[in-house]
Amino acid sequence: MSDSELGRKWDRCMADAVVKIGTGFGLGLVFSLTFFKRRMWPLAFGSGMGLGMAYSNCQHDFQAPYLLHGKYVKEQEQ
Amino acid sequence: MVPRVWSLMRFLIKGSVAGGAVYLVYDQELLGPSDKSQAVLQKAEELPAPPKFNFHIRDSWNSGIIKVMSALSAAPSKACEYSREGWDYLKERIK
Repeated sequence: MSDSELGRKWDRCMADAVVKIGTGFGLGLVFSLTFFKRRMWPLAFGSGMGLGMAYSNCQHDFQAPYLLHGKYVKEQEQ
Repeated sequence: MVPRVWSLMRFLIKGSVAGGAVYLVYDQELLGPSDKSQAVLQKAEELPAPPKFNFHIRDSWNSGIIKVMSALSAAPSKACEYSREGWDYLKERIK
């Protein structure tokens, strides 16, 4: 991977992490206020879920060039 | 009877608020692949509130300060002038 591509991947990862953790926190906040009597655990749960999703996406993104994609080639029967 | 209806209404309102939040996340694909999240973040950064209001506050505050200070600096001479005019007016009245 070239340096610029690596930098772009890191940028994408950071932006993705921010959005996902924020979304998880927001959803946790909404659910905590509506259904769970203003307890703290939905916030932690939502943020944790967002962090986990972002980490998984980043992992797939960085591992992509090292995954070998093979193709099945049909044997030509003569 | 009425408390039951009220609690049902409260549940429906809460459910619609929570459901609306979940639908918003689904519609904007906030928890989707990383490309979409990056696009959403860029779109969110492109609409900050325009700073027109700050500009007016600063201008009006500065002009207010200038007016107050110039009035304070001209106050002694103005007071002299008004007291002299008042004294002349009284002298005219007494004559």
